[in-house]
Amino acid sequence: MRLNRPRRHDIVGTLRRGRATGARRRTTVLGAVFAVVAAVAFGSNAGAQAATSEGLLCEQNAQQTFSLTARSGYISTPDGNSIYMWGYGMSAGNFQLPGPVLCVTSGRTVTVILHNDLPEATSMLFPGQSAVKANGNPAQPQFDSGGSLTSMVQPASAAGGSVTYTFTAGSPGTYLYSSGTDVTKQQQMGLYGTLVVRPATASAQVNDRADSAFSPQHEYVYLLSEVDPDVHLAVERNQPVDWSAYNARYYLINGRSMPDTLAPNNASWLPSQPYGALVHIKPYDAATNPLPAVIRYVNAGRVNYPFHPHGSDERVVNKDGRALQGTDPTAPQDLSYLKYDIDVMPGQTVDALMDWRDVEHWDPTTNPIPTEIPVITDQLLVGADTWFSESPYLGQKGTFPSNITVNNECGEYYHVAHSHALQQATNYGAAFGGMMTVFRIDPPAGCPTS
Amino acid sequence: MNDDPRSVPDDRADDRADDRADDHADGRPTRGGLGRRAVMLGGAGAIGSVFLGTRLSFGQPTQRPTVVRPAATGNVKSVHLVGTDGWVSMPAGSPPDLPFFPDSLAPDGFDTYVFGFRDVTQMSTAAEVAAVRGKAQVSAPMLAFDEGDEVTITLSNLGLLMRPDLFDGHTLHWHGFVNAIPLFDGVPELSLAVPIGRDLSYHYRPHDAGTYMYHCHFEDVEHVQMGMTGMVFIRPAQNRTPVNGDPIGTKYAYNDGDGSTRYDREFAFMVTELWSAAHYRDAHIQVSDWTDYAPSFWLLNGRGYPDTIAPPGDPRTTAAGRLQYQPISSLIRCNVNETVLLRLSNLGYQNHAFTLDNVDMQVVAKDAALLRGRDGTTNYQVTNTVDIGPGESRDVLVTPRRAGEYLLYDRNYAYLGNGGGTGWGGMMTVLRVGAAETYGPQTEPNT
Repeated sequence: MRLNRPRRHDIVGTLRRGRATGARRRTTVLGAVFAVVAAVAFGSNAGAQAATSEGLLCEQNAQQTFSLTARSGYISTPDGNSIYMWGYGMSAGNFQLPGPVLCVTSGRTVTVILHNDLPEATSMLFPGQSAVKANGNPAQPQFDSGGSLTSMVQPASAAGGSVTYTFTAGSPGTYLYSSGTDVTKQQQMGLYGTLVVRPATASAQVNDRADSAFSPQHEYVYLLSEVDPDVHLAVERNQPVDWSAYNARYYLINGRSMPDTLAPNNASWLPSQPYGALVHIKPYDAATNPLPAVIRYVNAGRVNYPFHPHGSDERVVNKDGRALQGTDPTAPQDLSYLKYDIDVMPGQTVDALMDWRDVEHWDPTTNPIPTEIPVITDQLLVGADTWFSESPYLGQKGTFPSNITVNNECGEYYHVAHSHALQQATNYGAAFGGMMTVFRIDPPAGCPTS
Repeated sequence: MNDDPRSVPDDRADDRADDRADDHADGRPTRGGLGRRAVMLGGAGAIGSVFLGTRLSFGQPTQRPTVVRPAATGNVKSVHLVGTDGWVSMPAGSPPDLPFFPDSLAPDGFDTYVFGFRDVTQMSTAAEVAAVRGKAQVSAPMLAFDEGDEVTITLSNLGLLMRPDLFDGHTLHWHGFVNAIPLFDGVPELSLAVPIGRDLSYHYRPHDAGTYMYHCHFEDVEHVQMGMTGMVFIRPAQNRTPVNGDPIGTKYAYNDGDGSTRYDREFAFMVTELWSAAHYRDAHIQVSDWTDYAPSFWLLNGRGYPDTIAPPGDPRTTAAGRLQYQPISSLIRCNVNETVLLRLSNLGYQNHAFTLDNVDMQVVAKDAALLRGRDGTTNYQVTNTVDIGPGESRDVLVTPRRAGEYLLYDRNYAYLGNGGGTGWGGMMTVLRVGAAETYGPQTEPNT
């Protein structure tokens, strides 16, 4: 897939075809906003080329020491909106959403130094880790002199404070880190990120079980969250927030909404949203491609996100950093299970292995499908571009009308994966957006152009 | 399969308005008043029937089967569905929520505008198929196939009688199906969509037994909420080779190898919510912001309690009155000590938690996958409350040991009302357990 331009054109096309007059009105208004934001965003990155990068981008070092800064910035949404956010970024870097994916090894000490550039105190919680300390003292909830809770853990004070957290990395798996101060607001503003804890002896396994092995080139984090733009506007303008009117309008995977979720990591047109969510695999093959991909689901929001991958089940092997297994001391029983919808609760993490298996091997000459594909005039092509190949066969590509932008390279397959609370799979109500991404399955020999 | 696909006229608003007046002036369908478009579509349907090949003759049952009867030759099975719009009825006594509910455009007896599917597989004439336009049913026709079947589902888009201004496509997404052909997945941006007046034959080869669901994926958040949702389940190969010395004819939910998913009766439940305001806006040429989602009715198989326990109906006759287009009953009946399989699929946008009073529930599968590890470790879960998120399914076995009536309901009491009214409603039904041999062998799910 060639993603060398902003995908916003696509979503505008989606809105147009959606014949939603209200949505169209919104697009017009937001279009003006977008023009301003685009000028700033692209201007500041003029000449920058995004590397075509997919999958998990780890922040890691031998000392397992990370210096993070909580600061404010902006993200953009596919319908052209611009949202004021707070987020964790590398202190040597810039604002980003979500926070960096910190990759560490189970059982070893981790140090996180938090600097606070925000106008209020903030902190970090590390659920699932052991011996968590703040500036050398046990991590503890904080109370004022009247006994009222002020923070769930020792914070860094506003506008320049800092605090150093240390902990021993917990059992292998995936964890959410997030603010423990003014949590309703700071979670909504974007203070969250993912901690990946790898087994001490086998880094390409989800946990200590050999049957949790995955292909290291096909490791993905899906950090799920949501945004009510009214809250963010109020905070940006230093106005009171009416939480009783809370209503999320944007639903994010790794800080992006569909179709921005398909853009590569570090896309230049998404300067503060560095993480993509495109899964890019080949069919399972016992000899040449035996290992599954892994998707690490993390819910940083306030409601369940029931995530539905099309086309293949996923095997849930880990929850909240713990292997799904029995209590047999010598050979713990396998309690993993297959799912076609992974309903992730707030604060929960779910690690799932996924592959795609060509069980039918449909072939136009040796094993043709027994139904007829309608001619192009009997199809409804939505929008001005498409991903599918006009062929049912993997690695085959049909012909398209010249007015269609074809994103399909070589007859590769595409399946969507999205929240099945379908209002979450929209951008402010417009379908084919929000908490949605795409799984790309290349032919076994790969795409010649990719 | 239309002989000349470009022959569809694009301006039929007058005809459709006429159809609407004729069809629903008295709340009953009529066979007259077909517009030119409908006739043309009938022609396409007839050709489609030829294409579908051999049909079995079932005669005319007095009671329409709960599950669609495919046209079948051996394991090659064909179903013909249509997508269109229509009107349904929420439970009597639901309080008004004007202007949204009841809808002022609704024909007598109905109150809620919907999109939906209809099964036209056994219809023998093109005119019959064409006459289904504007008469969608909710929830969609229940589909059941056997593991290893060669399944072709032809979907025809009959258009929307109430909304001749819309050119919405329809698609079929077999939710949870391990799909070897993404072209048949139903997501219009990544696969084929069916325009008005056309059809598409989807091919599936189900390898994995279990409980699934199907829905339209075109403008998904809208078309799913509008009612294009139905159950589909796959019966395991083990039914043909019973285990543990069980007699031929024994039914299992899964290929369990040990008979642990054996059941005597099965009942399937499509779990959805209904947001009256959005349905009203679709009928009245307005637009919903779907992030405002705020449902007002909570439904099992398209009905709210107490309609859930009303008998099954037939959308082709007016016998069921205002429930004509909500034909699927959710009343559960069995004899004492029988095992009942409950198939739950959630195509609403909210989580639900089903409690069954005084009878344990054993969850044997989630999302059409037996709860069994790769090493064979069984992990069935006994509970009194089964949680189910949007897009998920559950297979639950219950074995009542005492005759009586037991309530199955959403433990979130906020979902036990109809449109904000007082009294019982929403996601509730009854498990009616008779003494031994009260009920003869079950021949159809949900009966």
